[in-house]
Amino acid sequence: MSYILSILPALTSGLKITFEVFIVTLVFSIPLGLIVAIGRISKINIINRTVQLYILIMRGTPLLLQLVVVFFGFPFIGIVLERNTSALLTFVLNYAAYFAEIFRGGIESIDVGQYEGAAVLGLSKIRTFRRIILPQVIKRVLPPVGNEVITLVKDTSLVYIVGLGELLRAGEIASNRDASLTPLLVVGVYYLIIIGVFTEIFKRLEKRHSYYQ
Amino acid sequence: MKTFQNKRGLRGICILLALLLITSMAMSACIGKKEDTGAPSKGIADDGEGTGATSDPDEDKGPKITGPTLDEIKERGYIIMGLDDTFAPMGFRDKQNNLVGFDVDLAKEVFKRAGIELKLQPIDWTMKETELNTGKIDVIWNGYTITPGRKEQVDFTKPYLSNKQIIVTMAGSGVEKREDLIGKKVAIQSESSAIDAVMAYPDIVEQFDGGEPVLFATNDKALIDLEVGRSDAVVGDEVYVKYYIKQKGESKYKIAEEDFGDEEYGIGFRKTNGDLLKLVDDIIDEMRADGSYDEVCSRWF
Repeated sequence: MSYILSILPALTSGLKITFEVFIVTLVFSIPLGLIVAIGRISKINIINRTVQLYILIMRGTPLLLQLVVVFFGFPFIGIVLERNTSALLTFVLNYAAYFAEIFRGGIESIDVGQYEGAAVLGLSKIRTFRRIILPQVIKRVLPPVGNEVITLVKDTSLVYIVGLGELLRAGEIASNRDASLTPLLVVGVYYLIIIGVFTEIFKRLEKRHSYYQ
Repeated sequence: MKTFQNKRGLRGICILLALLLITSMAMSACIGKKEDTGAPSKGIADDGEGTGATSDPDEDKGPKITGPTLDEIKERGYIIMGLDDTFAPMGFRDKQNNLVGFDVDLAKEVFKRAGIELKLQPIDWTMKETELNTGKIDVIWNGYTITPGRKEQVDFTKPYLSNKQIIVTMAGSGVEKREDLIGKKVAIQSESSAIDAVMAYPDIVEQFDGGEPVLFATNDKALIDLEVGRSDAVVGDEVYVKYYIKQKGESKYKIAEEDFGDEEYGIGFRKTNGDLLKLVDDIIDEMRADGSYDEVCSRWF
C-alpha cells in the first residue's frame, strides 16, 4: 500500500497531461465538429466535398499516424509546432471529424415536419436551427457523444509518440523502474474512475433530456 | 437530373482522390523510408545492409537532416537531449518524477563543462532517430547501442560504456550456453539491439520454441514473462537485467555463462554536427582522465 502511495505523485503528474489533452480537445473539437457538420450537409457542392475529404482523411488514418505526421512531417512543408501544440491540434482535428458525423446524423434524423412547422410559424432559418432543431439534436446525440468522450479519455495515451508523458506512460515508467505491474493496475483504476464519472455525467444528461419519456 | 448529378459527383471524387494520392506520394518522398516504425524486422534488415556507411549527409538516404549547428546551439544557450524515460538505470524517472540515471548524470557533467545548459526531453524510443534528424532533439544519450544500421542514420561518439547481451533464466534452469536455448521460449524486447545480437545466430534462433523470439515492448515485461514461467529465457542488456534482478532478488535468477556478444553504448548526434560530437568526445576523455567518470559509474553500478 505504501508503495502505491509513493508512486502516486508521478502518476498524478501524468494525469495532468491526460486531462490537458482531454479538456482542450473537447472544448475545441465539439464546436468545430458542429461547424463541419453544417458544412457537410450544405447544399454548396464545393463546401460539401471539401468537408467530406477532410472527414475521410481524419477518420481514415490512424490517430497515431496523424500525430507523427503533424509533429515530424509538417516541418517539411514549413509548419513547425511544439510538441504540445501539435498533439492538441491533431486531436482537435481528428475528433472534430468524428463529432461532425455524429452531429450530422443527429441533424438529419430530425424529421421534415419540424422544419415545416417552423416555417408555418414564420421562424427564420437560423431561429429554426437554434431553437427547434438544435435542442432536439442534442437530445439524440448524447449517447454517441458520450461514447466519443469516453474513447477520447483513453486515446490521450497516444501522445506518448511525441514524447508527452501522460498517465499510461507514467505507469510504464514506474513499472519498468520498479520491476512490478502494480503501477499499471493503479493506472487502470485511475482510468476507470475517470470514465465512471463521465458515464454517470452522461447518464444524468440523458435523463434530463428525456423530457418526452 | 439525379443520374447527371451522380456522374458529376463521381468525377469530383476521382479528381480529389487523385490529388490526395499525389500529395501523399510527395509527402512520403519527403518523410522518407528510414523511419523507425517499431517493426522488429526493420532492425534486422538495417544490420544486414550495414556497410560501415560513411557519414555523407548529401547522399539521399532518406529525410533531409534539419537541426541547429553547434554554433547555433551555443548561441541559443541550451542543448536538448532526448531520452526514453522508461530506461532504468541509464535514464528514467524516480518516484518524485525527476529524471535521473547514469546517462543523465554523465550528460549533466559533460555539458556543464561545455558551458551549455542541458535540457532533457523524454521521447518515444522508436522515434529517436526521427527526433534527432528533424532537430527536435540534438543528442540521443540513453543506453544507445552502437550498431551498423544505426550508424547509417546518426554519428556516434567513441563508446563510453560497454554492455553485453546476456541470457537470464530462473535459477536451476541449467542454461549455460547459447545452444541450451534450443527448444526454449526466448523473450526479448522489440526494437532492441538484443534482437540484432541474437539474430547473428540464426540456426539457434530457428530452433527456439516457436522458431523466433517472443517480443515485448519493454524489458520488464519480458522478465515478468520469465518469472511466471511462460518464457524460459530472456536475452537483454546486462545493464538493465542486472538492475532488475537486483531488485527482485538475485538468487532467484541465473545468468548464463555464454552470452550473445559485447556491445558498446555511444552517444548519437546528427551527421551534420561533427564539431559537437568531437566536443563531447573530448570532454568525456577529460572526465576519464580526472576520475569523474569513475565517480559517476560508482554511483550507479
